[in-house]
Amino acid sequence: MAHPAHYREAHPMVFVLTHWINLIAMVSLAFSGFYIHYPFFAGFMGVARGMHFFFMFVLIINLTFRIIAAFFVKSAVSLGSREVDTDIKNWLPQKANRHQFLAWIKYYLFMKKDHPLGAKYGVLQKIAYIATVPLTFVMAYTGFSIWGPTMDWSFFSAGAGWVGGYMYMRVIHYFLMWVFIVFTAIHAYLANVEGFAPSGLIFAWKESEGLHFDKEGNPAGGKAH
Amino acid sequence: MAHGNHDALYSQLAARGVTRRDFLKFCGSIATLMGLAETAIPQIAAAVEAAALTPRAPALWINGGACTGCTESMAQGMTPDVATVVLDLLSLNYFETVMMAQGGPEMIPGYQEGVVEAKPELTAEGAIKTMLEEGGYILIFEGTVMTGFGGNALRIAGKSQTEELPEICKNAAAIVAVGSCAVDGGWVAARPNPAEGKGIQQFCKDEGIATPVINLPTCPVNPEWVVAMVIDVLLLGQLESGAILDKLDDFGRPSLIFGQTIHDNCPRRGHFENGEFVYEFGSAEEAKGYCLYAVGCKGPQTFTNCPIVRWNDGASWCVESGAPCIGCGNANPLSPGGNWVDVGAPFLNRMPDLPIAGTTFQPSTIGAAVGAVAAGALLVHGIGMKVAGRMDGGAPYEDVRAHDRKKGGGK
Repeated sequence: MAHPAHYREAHPMVFVLTHWINLIAMVSLAFSGFYIHYPFFAGFMGVARGMHFFFMFVLIINLTFRIIAAFFVKSAVSLGSREVDTDIKNWLPQKANRHQFLAWIKYYLFMKKDHPLGAKYGVLQKIAYIATVPLTFVMAYTGFSIWGPTMDWSFFSAGAGWVGGYMYMRVIHYFLMWVFIVFTAIHAYLANVEGFAPSGLIFAWKESEGLHFDKEGNPAGGKAH
Repeated sequence: MAHGNHDALYSQLAARGVTRRDFLKFCGSIATLMGLAETAIPQIAAAVEAAALTPRAPALWINGGACTGCTESMAQGMTPDVATVVLDLLSLNYFETVMMAQGGPEMIPGYQEGVVEAKPELTAEGAIKTMLEEGGYILIFEGTVMTGFGGNALRIAGKSQTEELPEICKNAAAIVAVGSCAVDGGWVAARPNPAEGKGIQQFCKDEGIATPVINLPTCPVNPEWVVAMVIDVLLLGQLESGAILDKLDDFGRPSLIFGQTIHDNCPRRGHFENGEFVYEFGSAEEAKGYCLYAVGCKGPQTFTNCPIVRWNDGASWCVESGAPCIGCGNANPLSPGGNWVDVGAPFLNRMPDLPIAGTTFQPSTIGAAVGAVAAGALLVHGIGMKVAGRMDGGAPYEDVRAHDRKKGGGK
């Protein structure tokens, strides 16, 4: 019984859009990628490849835009707060995240009864979200290394040589897709397991009431820190 | 060039039933293979004509661990063709597979009776000795260098091959590695590789030998590529000028031959784009000549010009004759374990088996297992969250961080 409030300041409209674009692009890429890996029904290869290349560019451009926007758009500093600061600060580790790494692990392993405090995002959440940025770029790199028009570029072919050839680059590209799938599964699970209010906000920009926290990530009106 | 020279070559050709027109057409196809313009045809023709008059370039054909398939590929024609004439420009002074068994001088008839004087140069061993002393020959190497069992994986004439090979490599002007085994170990070096096979380039590197190596993978080698290299190296003088090395890719292969994927030049490519695949041999799809991608065709990552040059005098090639490409043109000469068999097998699967903990797994099995473990873990965790009563908003928040509490509860 501890819902934090979810206010639009947490996810300004522009990030609701980039999140939607990410979701659509990733689902399209995973589906078309599986099909290119093995065409499990007939008649779709040309479309699958077209989808894969189109959404690959969409995903990269969207991610690049999202990173740049993080330096200009302000978002809420804490859960259940309307107080805002530059978005990138809320992504990177903050004072409110300090010493909470073990607390989160213990909480998720049921070794800690009460919910750890965080900033806008908890420690594990920040690690996972930040990791998706290099992961996406590495994924794109492995993809360009096996894509006809770019595989000859020395920047990409050097990588293919380093991993032992184009076949192994394919295998790596394939495994990275599973990393994305596992990330998305855990992300969707943790975002919704304690209630669907976070989804309401990120997908439909729908606010919900709940607990408030101050900009230090402490319960608002709770103990003075 | 004097007409006399022309006549010398053309009478040779005519003796083999090759017309002058055939010969010029052949020079044209060689120009294409070497990436030269049509204007280079007279230059190639003149080079071959001139070479026909000069002493033949010495060459050694040495077999490592090999099935001699490349030798057979070179000897493919039932009737000698133009290529044979060009290859005759090489004086193959030593060629184990096709020369007669020979021993020391005592094997020469009449020697033991004292009737014939010893002429060691008449024996194979004598020939190889002379060539080693003179140097500057072309070494054509077929098969894998087998270093296992202290070099005893391959013994020739009572000696292990690895004993003699360094000197043979060192004194050569250039090494042409014919066939995948010579390039990176091929079949012989495939997992678990008990013979510790490796390609000739890796062998030279390990022995500190700097002789340039030209790699011509595929199993077996395509004779047309060997002919193109012979002309490049011998006749156009590209070895002396070093120009030949600039034409090689990162894997030491002539980039004009190994520069594009089979997939990009495949006659079945249209079926690929349409999503028309053979899923099973003996099916209606196979009869229609659909794309072989779903039965493991390695064309998309194999860089050879097989679809253009084709095989057996341009008769056909693997995919055209209905078999998926198994990627024999893939080469990774300086990367042990990167040989095409380990990279491509099982051949009818899209991806190779990966060796893990003493056994092998398909990447898709590993991926699905990782996905299933993650899904299972989330399910179990979800049950835990339900039992712990956290589904509705999670547990109540701590009022202060555990770390801060230890420090004295608030600052």
